[in-house]
Parts: sequence; C-alpha cells; structure tokens
Amino acid sequence: MLPRMKKAITENPKKLSNLIDLVNLPSTLRDFLGQSQISRLGCFMRVWSYIKANNLQDPNNKNVVNCDDKLRSILLGKPQVELAELPTLIKLHFPKEPK
Amino acid sequence: MGKIPPAVRTVPFPASSLLKNRQAVVQSEIPNPPPKPHRFPNKTPKKNAPQTPKLPTISFTSPSLSDAKTLFNSLVNSTPADLKFHNSLLQSYATVSSLDDATSLLRHMTKTHPAFSPDHSTYQVLLTKSCYSPDPNLAAVRKTLTLMATEGFPPDKATTDVAVRSLCNAGRLEHAVELVKEFCLKNSPPDSVTYNFLIKHLCRTRTVSSVNGFIKEMRESFAVKPDLVSYTILIDNVCNRKNLREATRLLGLLGEDGFKPDCYVYNIVMKGYCMLSQGSEVLWVYKKMKEEGVEPDMVTYNTLIFGLSKSGRVKEARKFLGVMAEMGLSPDEVTYTSLMNGMCRERNASGALELLEEMEAKGCSPNSCTYNTLLHGLCKAKLLGKAIELYGVMKAGDVKLETGSYGTFLRTLCRNGRVAEAYEVFDYAVESKSLKDVVAYSTLESILKWLKKAKEQGLAV
Repeated sequence: MLPRMKKAITENPKKLSNLIDLVNLPSTLRDFLGQSQISRLGCFMRVWSYIKANNLQDPNNKNVVNCDDKLRSILLGKPQVELAELPTLIKLHFPKEPK
Repeated sequence: MGKIPPAVRTVPFPASSLLKNRQAVVQSEIPNPPPKPHRFPNKTPKKNAPQTPKLPTISFTSPSLSDAKTLFNSLVNSTPADLKFHNSLLQSYATVSSLDDATSLLRHMTKTHPAFSPDHSTYQVLLTKSCYSPDPNLAAVRKTLTLMATEGFPPDKATTDVAVRSLCNAGRLEHAVELVKEFCLKNSPPDSVTYNFLIKHLCRTRTVSSVNGFIKEMRESFAVKPDLVSYTILIDNVCNRKNLREATRLLGLLGEDGFKPDCYVYNIVMKGYCMLSQGSEVLWVYKKMKEEGVEPDMVTYNTLIFGLSKSGRVKEARKFLGVMAEMGLSPDEVTYTSLMNGMCRERNASGALELLEEMEAKGCSPNSCTYNTLLHGLCKAKLLGKAIELYGVMKAGDVKLETGSYGTFLRTLCRNGRVAEAYEVFDYAVESKSLKDVVAYSTLESILKWLKKAKEQGLAV
C-alpha cells in the first residue's frame, strides 16, 4: 500500500544536508547553470524553471518534456524525459560522497 | 491526522482569561516599558524641552559612565524632576551599560538633581537589569535588593513580581525559584499572579513531579497555596502531556482546597480526553458540567464536537450543532472544520462538502484549516475532480497548503497520471510559501520514487 508519510525531512540532518549543501559541479552542469556550485534542490528548481520558461513540456502530454539541446546535455542525452523521472535524473549528478 | 489542527488547537485554552487579574499589578507598579534604543546616535538632545509638555526621548548609545553623566548634566537644568522621564533615562542607559554603571548613574542623578526622588519603579529598573545580566548565582540581584532596602524600599509584592518575571524571561528558572523562597522567608511571599506566572514557566520545562514538589514545598514551608488559576495551569499542563490520571488527581486536590472547577477547567480536561480520542469521556465531562451547573461556552462545544468527530462519533457531534443553536451560540469555522474532519475520517467527503455549502450559507467563512481538511478528505475518498476544483478555489483565495494535505493531493494526482499538475501544485506550495522548499521538494521526490515502484508492480497508471 501507500508509504506512510515519512517524518519531515527537516528533522533528518543527513538527508537535509544531502539536499541543500552546495556541491562542486561537473563541467556539463556548470555550462548549463552558469555557476560552479549549487545544491541539489537549487539545481532541480533551475532545471524545472528552465523547462517552464522555454515551454518544453509536450503540448499533447504535459507529463513529458521534449528536451532541447541544452537540456539534453545534462539529462543523459535523452530526447524526451518524463517529468516523473526528473528528480532521479538530476540526482545522478549528485553522487553520494564515499565515506 | 491524530493531531489537533491549528485552528482548534488555539482555542481550547483561553490563556488570556487566566491573565485577567494580572493587569492590575502590572500597570500600577511596573515602570513604563523602556524606550527602544535607537540604532543611530542621537547626539544632540532637543533644546526646546522646557516649553513643550512632551519630554524628549533620550537614548544612551555609549556604555561609558562619564559620557552618560555629561549627557545627564546637559539635561538636568532643562527638565523638570519628572519621575517617568528619569526612569526612562536610567532604563535607556541600563540597556547599554553594566549594572554597576547604571547604579552609579542613579546615584549621580539623585546627587545633581535633588528634586528628583527615586521610588520603587526607579529601583525596579536596576532590579530588572540585574536579573537579565548573566550570572552564575544571584549575587547581582541580591546586591540590588540590599541597595533597595537601604534606600527605604524593602522587597514587596511588586519587587517579587518584577524579579521573578525578569528571571523567568531570562531563562533563569532555577534562580527564580530560589529567590521566591528567599522572599518568602523575608515575609514577602509572591502574590497569586506572580506565583502562577512562575508555575506556568516551570510547567514548560520541568517534569510534572518536580512542579508538584515545588508546589508542595511552597504550601508546607511558606503557606503559599495554589488558587484556581494555578490549578488550571497545572491541569492544562498534564492534559497536554496526555497524563489524564494526574489531571484527575489534581481535580480531586482542587476540590479538597475548596475550589469548584469552572468552565475553563472543564474545557481543559475535555481537551485532554480529545487528545486521547476518548469520545465517551469527552461526553462524560460535558454531562458532569451540566450536573454541576457550569454553563458550557463556545470553547466547550467546539472541543466537544472536535472530540466526538475525532473518535468517530460524527452523528452525535452533529446533534450538538442543534444544542448550540438552542444556547444561542452560532457555530464558527472551527466547529464546522471539526465536523468535516470527522466526516472525512469516515470517507464521507461529499457530506463534508455539503457541510461547507451549509456553513457558507450561514455566513461563516472557512479558514485555511477547513480547506486543507477538505482537500485531504476529497483525495482520500478518491474524488480527484472535486479536489482539483477545491484546489482552484484555494489558489484563487491565496489559501496556504498544509504538509499533510499537500502530500495527499500530490500523491493522488501522480497516481492518476497527472504528474504535470502535481508539479504545478509544487510550484504553488513554494510560491505561496505554504511549505519550506525543502519539505515541498522532498515530498515530491519521494512520491515520484514511490510512483516508479508502483508502476513497475503495475499498481498505478
């Protein structure tokens, strides 16, 4: 069945830092964002607002994004991505730090 | 669910009513609130002071004593010996200086301006200052008190009140307790207002047993007895901690002390049972009130309806709408929201929607809690169309989303393959500052993750 709503993320310092800590970016992302450091949350927001600003959602199916060249460069080169997989794709750029 | 929604939470404990007799003490004996020090240096005091009845506001910006003395000397000839004005001067200086310097300034003031005679309120400025200064023990406070005593102002009720309040607000509860005991030995026991203030602060941080210990000690050693307000505070405290057994014990004690529980006490006990979702006990409290001839008020009915709805007895709860009307009380948005909450728990979201219409027809406008309850209920009842419609109304009215309803709504949208709309709701939640970005995003992320899994198992579209 449905997963129980997890406790607010703000109570979990590890997950929180995972989301909001600034990270040094790989060159592909750096070119897209125009800055060398960003948090995972910030990155998601930027990509999502880029999609909205450039009307990249498929007019027939809003759940799908037709990537332009710029976007394709950071999303594994896919021509089309589903909105639902956007967080996962962005997460790929933010690998867990080996400890 | 299971938590008291904010709209209801604020109502059952009418704190302001507990403070009603505090006003008298505060107004008559505590000096006016200090003027806030200005950020910018106020170098030139206004010269036209003597002509205008309004005195200039002077604020000290430098902690240097000699500067303060010079400034005071420049003022001394141009101002009358107004007590309030001098107090405000001292207060202003005390906010930037050390206690010793402030004391010296007071001495200087009395010397250079013989017409000015400091009274209680002047020394209380110093006392407050000493309470706020960080100090491992009470030395500074004691010193000020000794000074007051030698100047002919032995500690009285007002002094006790000022000291206890300042110590509590400065987070020095331990010292406040110590000082109160000391005052008791000096035949200046706290009055009921001060005592209750202290109890309230103790309840916030201490365990129930240690608060009880304090009360017992005060009663046995110094004959300071709790009054009805004290008991109300204590019972509220234990009810909030869901310790109804202790509440019952306190109710017994209250009776032994010769008090009769009033409406507030009953409301609080009822709230306690609401928290435990014990509908029969909630009703029992109501019946008991009736038996004892205590008139239920709006809060009683709201608590009662909330409690019954929460424990799944919506039908009974609904009947009380009629009872309220008979009593001449008109149900407010809290009443209706509680009922809707109960209906939504029973998966009767369309009934709740009807109630929304009924309530609006009666001229009672829903609050954000009402909308969020409904949104949650509609999603749970799989009435996504209605939920989206309601969301539109909320958006148009700038109603904020709450974490619970936001998550449920998002999940329902995603499950029905409307991810784009879920993203739009996410945007609204962020824009309207309903939730923190982090919370809004992590909810979205975990829902999408769940969606992927559900798809793999063929559970979702």
